[in-house]
Amino acid sequence: MPQTAKKRPAAAKQVVCTHCARVTEVGRRAMSVVCPNCSKRLILEDYKITGYYGVREFATCGDIVVERIGTVAALIKVGNLTVKGTVQGNAFARGCVSIRKTGTYRGDIQAPVLRVESGAKLRGFVRIGKPPADDA
Amino acid sequence: MADSNSDFSTILGADALFKGELKFEKGVRLLGKFEGQINSAGQLVIADGAMLTGDVKANHIRVDGEVKGNLDATQKMELTASAKVEGDLQTARLEVAEGAVLIGRCMVGVNGQGGPSGTQRAPSRDHKATSPPPTQTDAPKVKGNVPEPVGAKK
Repeated sequence: MPQTAKKRPAAAKQVVCTHCARVTEVGRRAMSVVCPNCSKRLILEDYKITGYYGVREFATCGDIVVERIGTVAALIKVGNLTVKGTVQGNAFARGCVSIRKTGTYRGDIQAPVLRVESGAKLRGFVRIGKPPADDA
Repeated sequence: MADSNSDFSTILGADALFKGELKFEKGVRLLGKFEGQINSAGQLVIADGAMLTGDVKANHIRVDGEVKGNLDATQKMELTASAKVEGDLQTARLEVAEGAVLIGRCMVGVNGQGGPSGTQRAPSRDHKATSPPPTQTDAPKVKGNVPEPVGAKK
């Protein structure tokens, strides 16, 4: 009797599209996919910023860490955002925005959770808590 | 940190409704409802279930309850998991616990002077008005300016 190889379940994870906010299932090792709902490209990687990075929009379903020597000037759409350096721009996070003691944030923040360490600087309009139902 | 009622010289009880201006030196624990202004050099605790409507200026503010108004803490402000704040915050240090709800403008830093340059530009309340129009994500496409993804996910 031939031996049947044990089929492992496909390693998949669910991500929220940064454009249409719908949940999509993607491969665990995928680095970017096209959202089946809005047909836009989704970045799934984590980023660590150690220099100046200025763009119109910086979106990823993963996490962004702005290191102490890093500076980001962009509209940020992210899972979790950690700021140890400087960020200027609005941020929409699905998870936690954490501003460490060396961090400086200038811009608006919308996130379920905000952590501001002692010594951090923050200036902007913040909306913390459960996102409104009609907000994408 | 003063948590129990005995650590406060003044306590506004859960069944109290205070309207007007309140000034104190040491500490006040608010358990009931307050409408008006508070000016203090001490500590103010807005307990869970308490409701404060108005502007507050104090040295140390801890919010467990609900606040509608502007808060100005000279030293430190704490928002616990049960806190609901709708208004502008100005403080030197801010702690927001997971579960807290905060809607308002924030100025956190030394004397509220956020940012290294200390500029006084007031950000707009309207996200959509100040945000660039949503575009296709261009982060990885920019040459010479691309952050390297963390290799941990490989």
